[in-house]
Amino acid sequence: MSPSPSRPISVGIIANPASGRDIRRLTSRASVFPNAEKASMIVRAIAGLEAAGVEHVLLMPDKGSISGLVYRALGLDGRSTEGRRVRFIDMTVSESIDDTLHATEAMCAAGVSAIIVLGGDGTHRAVAKRCGQVPLLALSTGTNNAFPEMREATVAGLAAGLIATGAVPAAAGLRRNKLLRVRCDDRDDIALVDACFTGHEYVGSRAVWDSALVEELFVTFAAADGIGLSAIAGQLEPVTRAAAHGLHVRCAPTGDTPRRVHAAIAPGLVAEVGVRDYAHLSPHEPVVLTGRSGTIALDGEREIEFHTGSRIEISLDPHGPQTIDVAATLTHAAQHRLLRHYAGGAA
Amino acid sequence: MTSPLNREALLQAYRTMRTIRDFEERVHVDFATGEIPGFVHLYAGEEASATGICMHLNRNDYIASTHRGHGHCIAKGVDPVGMMAEIWGKATGTCKGKGGSMHIADLEVGMLGANGIVGGGGPLICGTALASKIRGENNVGVCFFGDGASNQGTIFEAMNLASVWKLPVIFVAENNGYAEATSSTFSVAVENIADRASAFGMPGVIVDGFDFFAVYEAAGEAIKRAREGGGPTLLEVKLSRYYGHFEGDQQTYRAPGEVQKLRETKDCLMQFAKRVTSRGELTMADIEAIDREVKTMIDDSVVKAKSDPLPPPEALMADVYISY
Repeated sequence: MSPSPSRPISVGIIANPASGRDIRRLTSRASVFPNAEKASMIVRAIAGLEAAGVEHVLLMPDKGSISGLVYRALGLDGRSTEGRRVRFIDMTVSESIDDTLHATEAMCAAGVSAIIVLGGDGTHRAVAKRCGQVPLLALSTGTNNAFPEMREATVAGLAAGLIATGAVPAAAGLRRNKLLRVRCDDRDDIALVDACFTGHEYVGSRAVWDSALVEELFVTFAAADGIGLSAIAGQLEPVTRAAAHGLHVRCAPTGDTPRRVHAAIAPGLVAEVGVRDYAHLSPHEPVVLTGRSGTIALDGEREIEFHTGSRIEISLDPHGPQTIDVAATLTHAAQHRLLRHYAGGAA
Repeated sequence: MTSPLNREALLQAYRTMRTIRDFEERVHVDFATGEIPGFVHLYAGEEASATGICMHLNRNDYIASTHRGHGHCIAKGVDPVGMMAEIWGKATGTCKGKGGSMHIADLEVGMLGANGIVGGGGPLICGTALASKIRGENNVGVCFFGDGASNQGTIFEAMNLASVWKLPVIFVAENNGYAEATSSTFSVAVENIADRASAFGMPGVIVDGFDFFAVYEAAGEAIKRAREGGGPTLLEVKLSRYYGHFEGDQQTYRAPGEVQKLRETKDCLMQFAKRVTSRGELTMADIEAIDREVKTMIDDSVVKAKSDPLPPPEALMADVYISY
């Protein structure tokens, strides 16, 4: 975890300008998270990082909706950030999820000690594909936010800084997450929270909001008070992020089963879901599914179309990305008086 | 939930997109000869947007279009043969040859008109939607506009009015990245036009304009919501035009190879055909039959347009003033 002494301590920040703009604003009452607030969160996170002793901050560029406001807030209007303590990565902006993938790779190559991510489950999933062992601080700004937390960015910046500088050891502040590995014929993908088999024929507008089309659900964890598809599992049997297992839920039309749950499957949308049965999903024990067609939604968004004859394998991997536990990190800092200073030297 | 697409609907979707594409590719070729009067602005590349949206509409629903209106016309059911004659300025045209490309209108099928005024469609569509609401009808209005028009006051006023009166309107921002030669990253203050929806108290949604199915599904939800009295929606369709702002535009503002790459990797017709044939919903024979049928129809429309008569001089003042 500790950076090499020759290299300045740096942290990356990735904020996705497209998060929180999908069809769920139409089909449910999902919020619109303003990009101005994302920019403001970046500036507040930087304050926390610098207070903790982080020397360099690397930011993901965009076409201007977030970066323009960050430039203005930092007094950098029209000037290059090259060589500055806070700088934007030099990369081509495509206005797609590729930006998040490329920025994560570039930050890891530059040797960042942590990455603060502002987005929903989809943005975090993209970062998790490329971040390797670099720990993430997951902040919610998207729609379907089971993985990241709603937190004040200043405090998050402070926690990320304490981990990045090594002031708080990894064992005290980092948590290992599970993930789902999905293989559909020759395509591999991952999910951080849930993988859902749906009766939707096409990826289309991606979101899943019709509970009648939810056929089968796999989750890494399921909070009873969660939002999104994992909330279905959360009402059957809550599973913590730390638990060794996940859950596999087989759904059924509500008319075909006496077992039904009500769950908040999207903001503003509490649905009744019929459940055939459910079982623990153990690590490295793949579940294989064949013989139907439909789509697989990963972390709430339809991603993969599969056909009759497709072979799909889903397994739980306990070695997913590491995330920074903000409460645990700052509690450790308090217990070890890392942020406590008294004039005159008395503690 | 938008109803799934059956075989007939898939054939219709492909036929409409292919008709728009071939119509525009042919106008592109013929305009270069200098025989077509006036200006033309081609819709090639954007077919999934007009098609995915208009497939949810019926004849009593209205659309308001733009200067880039051929695709909207075809998708709403205007006869392409009449359109071709109109563009050639012939008496057999949709507007008797006196409107041309930028003023094709056909109220019989709910097409209020292409429109030379950037952002002009917003207030018009609010009018049709208000009429439908007062009459207790179930019709919706769709206003197509571009990223340039997204900065116009008329569009802001229309979105406010539609929200205040809870009108059954779908504002479709076809963001092709350029207002004439000005990049939307320079001229639009926000990265996503959909972000502006919250300022008018309506949902704003972004959709991939190269993916017919994404457009179809999102439009279906917005139109259903409007018909049920839920009020207006702003749908931002991210897409690209394959040709210049107008025919003859040298497009020095675009990167070399930009369009070629889009044609090869994202083209909406290519994606559609690949998807439905790989799933076995349509066969390549189905696709090729439509390709042949549409090509013949477009070729014939040009032959006819060329040989059709021009409007006679005495028609000059006809249809200029109308009493209601």
